[in-house]
Amino acid sequence: MKTAGAVIVLQLLFFSAFAQDIGKHLGDENFMYAETKQINQFFRRFNSEEDLEGKRIYENDPHYHNKEYRAKYIRMLFDNENPDISNQVKEEFIRDVTDDAHPEFLDYYGGRWFAEVDAKFNYKGESRTVVLFLELEKEDLGIKWVINNVYFYPFSKMFFADSSAMHKFLHPMSHEIDFMNLIKVFREPNTVEYYFNEDFRPDFKTLFLYEVKQGDLVFETIQNVTFHFFQIKDWYFQLKEFNRPGYNTGWLISNISKIPEDQKGMLLKYIYYEN
Amino acid sequence: MKNIKIFLSVALAVISTVAFAQPEISPERKQAIDSLALEKVKDLGKYISIIGNKETPFSEANRVIERALELFAPGSQMGVSSLNRKEIKYYGIREYLQRLMALNYDRVNIEWFNVQYISDLVRQPDGRYVGVITIYQRFVGESDDGLKYVDTTKKDITVYVERKQTQIHGRLIGFWDVLLGDIRVTETKPG
Amino acid sequence: MRNFHHLTIFIFIAFASVGIFSCKSQKKLAAEQAAAAEARKIAKAKADLEELLSDNSGLSLDEKEQRLKTIKDMNIQDDEVQQLIVKVEEKLKRERDALAAKERAERLAREREEQLRREGGPKGLGDYFNLIANSPNLATANRYIDEALGLFASDDVPVLIIISKSGGTVDYDRPTTIRKYLEYLKDQKINRNKIENVIYDANGKITELELIKK
Repeated sequence: MKTAGAVIVLQLLFFSAFAQDIGKHLGDENFMYAETKQINQFFRRFNSEEDLEGKRIYENDPHYHNKEYRAKYIRMLFDNENPDISNQVKEEFIRDVTDDAHPEFLDYYGGRWFAEVDAKFNYKGESRTVVLFLELEKEDLGIKWVINNVYFYPFSKMFFADSSAMHKFLHPMSHEIDFMNLIKVFREPNTVEYYFNEDFRPDFKTLFLYEVKQGDLVFETIQNVTFHFFQIKDWYFQLKEFNRPGYNTGWLISNISKIPEDQKGMLLKYIYYEN
Repeated sequence: MKNIKIFLSVALAVISTVAFAQPEISPERKQAIDSLALEKVKDLGKYISIIGNKETPFSEANRVIERALELFAPGSQMGVSSLNRKEIKYYGIREYLQRLMALNYDRVNIEWFNVQYISDLVRQPDGRYVGVITIYQRFVGESDDGLKYVDTTKKDITVYVERKQTQIHGRLIGFWDVLLGDIRVTETKPG
Repeated sequence: MRNFHHLTIFIFIAFASVGIFSCKSQKKLAAEQAAAAEARKIAKAKADLEELLSDNSGLSLDEKEQRLKTIKDMNIQDDEVQQLIVKVEEKLKRERDALAAKERAERLAREREEQLRREGGPKGLGDYFNLIANSPNLATANRYIDEALGLFASDDVPVLIIISKSGGTVDYDRPTTIRKYLEYLKDQKINRNKIENVIYDANGKITELELIKK
């Protein structure tokens, strides 16, 4: 009976433009139905692959991938408290992903979505945040999350920080003096990188692993998790978990922007702290 | 040469997609496995109530702790965060259960909400399947001196499902080994 | 004309007299009939009431009570009838009380029998499963577990639980042992499975048990 009641509530949420007002008068169990409880549920709601009770529906079900249902579900999947996400953007996004000719669905196995995890590590006696980027990678018959990028602020401060050293170089006749002038390069450890080739970029992944193996970086805990989605053509959006009262909770779109495919690379670099 | 490489990688991608798309388990069997996994989660809830109850004799509580641990894959942990502290605090399952036993509430009531969510089962590289079951619980611990502790938590429980075989009296039995794994516990704001 | 008048008057009077005379006789008749009916009713009521008192009616208690109610509803103003009604009422109340007591006794006896069957008589494995899952306390549950284990060749007899039979494939849960399964029933306080198959040894002890989700 309770279940039936809560499903009715969800239907109200689903079909009502004034869901927030309705919600306030109901018992405390219903918010749990409304909440997007897992990323898995975000995918299924986005694609209309489950019913209002959260039970999986299959291809022969009339609601499966149904355009109208998707539009209603996706409207529930935005963080409503973010004023930067305008109704205009929402509607444009919904129009694009539910397009009759080229509807777009989220695919767990489809790549082009990844996690950004803020993890707390003890770094030489001090608690510091390491940002780990993880993506899904197929292996044998299965799939797994792998760390494919790392950002750590102390590392970034370590390289190309002293712009006054920008024009330092080993002069082109150094070979004739057995490179004896290298002593001057290493006398100033803070600027050694300026003597490297132009393409050189420090590899934080290797640095990070080195520090971990040295015992200088010790894992403490997880602080925050964000997901970045590049799967939808000409769109980027971000997913965060909202743990707050009300019905607009759980894993929701916390940021969205229309971005041409050829500019996504730049955005990716920005997310990876690479620019 | 480069073209061949591209062709090969595309071909491989197609093959692996096909492998993923293969419906290995029928929806009916999947449902039975889902129910079994949910049952294990509920069994754990009952064990926790017994362990947390002061009336349970010490020896009995210890026996139940062992039974509860049998539900878990080795090395499983609880990762707990509260409204005040977002960071995850880690406990081993045994440690968590023993702390529960030591809490010494006169009455422990674990109330289940009617909401549960069962994710897809996804195959890992080792061939086992993994899923997450989300449930909500209200924990009420009461002492006779009137002290009362109440919280509502969302529990995201890892579930490993593995097809195994065993010989019983010469007969080969295929069974689903369902084991619980890490549990993420988040305190939630009801309503 | 005058004669005519006389005649008319005469006729009128004659007719009127006839009318008056006939009215009087009908009333009398009716009264007599009513009195007779009333007498019959009283007589019948008395007879009925006496029969109800006599225990010779052959009626059930419910029917007797219904008959009494019918008589009372007639509202007969007769002292003798009223006295009889009081007597019958008292009698039927005694009968009603006795019947309730009898039913209570029968129920108690049934319960005792049930209890006896549960505790003393030979119990099946299914009974034990329910008894253990519904035990009011630990001691009782443990006693039933010990009793139930007596039906098995050993504590380690394998227990298989079928979770689904779909398209010719039988899916099982992880196999357990009978002791662990009985303790599971005690802990979980719910009996989710029913017996599908039992294998006995030559001594009549169970060596393998197959259960299926209800």
